[in-house]
Amino acid sequence: MKIKVDIGPYKPEPKKIISYKREAPDSFTIRLDWQIEHGPGQFVFCSAPGIGESAISICSDSRNYVDLNIREVGNVTNELGKLQVGDELLVRGPYGTQYPMQDLKGNDFLIIGGGCGVAPLRGVIKYIDGHREDFNDISLFLGFRSPEDALFKDEHEDWDKRHKLFMKFDKMEHENSTACYTGSQGFVTDLVKQEVHDNTNKIAIVCGPPIMIDKTVEILREKGFHDDQIFLSAERLMYCGMARCGRCMIRGKYTCVDGSVFRLDHFEDE
Amino acid sequence: MQKGVFDDFVREVMQSREFVAPVKGDQTKEVQESFFTDIKDPSQIEIGQLTYFPIKYYFFAKKEVLFSFHKNRIEEPEIDIPERVFFGLRLCDLNSIKHQDTVFLNNGFRADPYYQARREHSLLIGMHCKKGDDHCFCQSIGLKDFYDLMFFDKDEHTYGIDVGSEKGKAFVDEFRRFFEEKEEGYITPEDKVTINTFKLDTTNIKNLWDNEVWSSLSEKCTACAACNNLCPNCHCFTVEDEVEVGDVTKGQRVRKPAACLVKGFTRVAGDHVFRDDLVGRFRHRIFHQLEFFRDRYGETMCTGCGRCIRGCPAKIDWVTGINTAARKQRGGQE
Repeated sequence: MKIKVDIGPYKPEPKKIISYKREAPDSFTIRLDWQIEHGPGQFVFCSAPGIGESAISICSDSRNYVDLNIREVGNVTNELGKLQVGDELLVRGPYGTQYPMQDLKGNDFLIIGGGCGVAPLRGVIKYIDGHREDFNDISLFLGFRSPEDALFKDEHEDWDKRHKLFMKFDKMEHENSTACYTGSQGFVTDLVKQEVHDNTNKIAIVCGPPIMIDKTVEILREKGFHDDQIFLSAERLMYCGMARCGRCMIRGKYTCVDGSVFRLDHFEDE
Repeated sequence: MQKGVFDDFVREVMQSREFVAPVKGDQTKEVQESFFTDIKDPSQIEIGQLTYFPIKYYFFAKKEVLFSFHKNRIEEPEIDIPERVFFGLRLCDLNSIKHQDTVFLNNGFRADPYYQARREHSLLIGMHCKKGDDHCFCQSIGLKDFYDLMFFDKDEHTYGIDVGSEKGKAFVDEFRRFFEEKEEGYITPEDKVTINTFKLDTTNIKNLWDNEVWSSLSEKCTACAACNNLCPNCHCFTVEDEVEVGDVTKGQRVRKPAACLVKGFTRVAGDHVFRDDLVGRFRHRIFHQLEFFRDRYGETMCTGCGRCIRGCPAKIDWVTGINTAARKQRGGQE
């Protein structure tokens, strides 16, 4: 018997690209004409038909549009890099957990990001800017490979005015580059070491490469942070977003539904 | 049911449905091991031993077309699903279907439409297994009664049949003339007994995460993934796009089973592999089977069928490995 299947859960919808901005040599940000309820830290799946689907975190906080920062690092994302304003992109989502901003009111925030891990953190910053009275001091500790690789360069000045922005670069190849507002050579972990003194009423949100997360957590714990004050993002290969494909599992937790935002005391690495 | 009418019963069911049952492998052909297939004649049925291959691929297809696409236009697939009666499933097979139902239908997210369609057009008939072989350890797991109908070998002439669902009852009504109504309690607890000679010590598995047993067990492992493929419970998958030759804008997005023993299982863009070491991959599979699934859904995923040990080319007996490690650990604590 032939059966027509309602493919609902796996069906991506076309959404129009309303702006496109190159951030760095291997990364760009697009804005989609897409109105969805979502929270900071959530992600969507983007399709490049014929190549595949990739999970991309949302880097905005708006009910009117969705911004995605995409690093061209694999087959799908390289294809997505060819998109232009006016094109349609196949997407589905949102998926995953979000930073529980409602429960974190009244705290100081340390927003610590490395490389493309800064993308979902921009969503957090946007959320805080929209609910500024709910939160106290906000410090941004961001690390990139070089000033040229820094994401959201246009916004750094504004971020520094509103909050405290600290930046480090692995390499300062372009010493005279004006591409970047501020920063010096070193690692983001150096900043955490220097600038963080105690854990009083502080929440740390960490997103970046695994080694950077591990080192940062180590330093935060040394500074007296408890695991329930630290949120991290874990990223894995994933195909479904519905706790089925099993690819994103980390010691029994599905990154796609139990994460990708985890409070550290709820997370056990392999 | 009288055993004498069984063949007629099968033939009559086959008039309107596919009849899937265990058959022996053909020693002259490529597939020499036993498996489930849609039989053409009742004489093919072989219920004497557990099939080498699992039942899962009838529901969790080896290749499921999720949709076809032409550029950004998406078209729903039409899948061909015959009405099927599955016969000769053992309680381990049936529980594995229950666990797949959990993942694909009842995990709290929208039901998987492909799996759902395949399951809706199936009727599950079990055949009670009285005694497992050297690799069966289902009694260490605690399997549940899960079937539409279950056959018990009552005596030389009779099958006792337990009706396990509304669907099973409707089926019995349809083929009424082959069945006799019996009083409540006709199937006794003794009828439901299964004997195992092999056992898994499940008392202390959580504490074995950092145990050296994983290194010693995976020493001989070649990451061939036979265990993943033969396991009736393993359900992880991959999704990929297959394009038409000559026109890459047209194609299909397909889903295929994936094996966590293979290194590429956690490989991401940039060629980073999260679970790089074989020891970790071996441990992950066993922990998913025995711990992770239960933590989430309240039931052990492994059904104790032993196919992963029977089919392992390196003959890795992880059950005995775990038993030994658990015993050692207990000894150390005393």
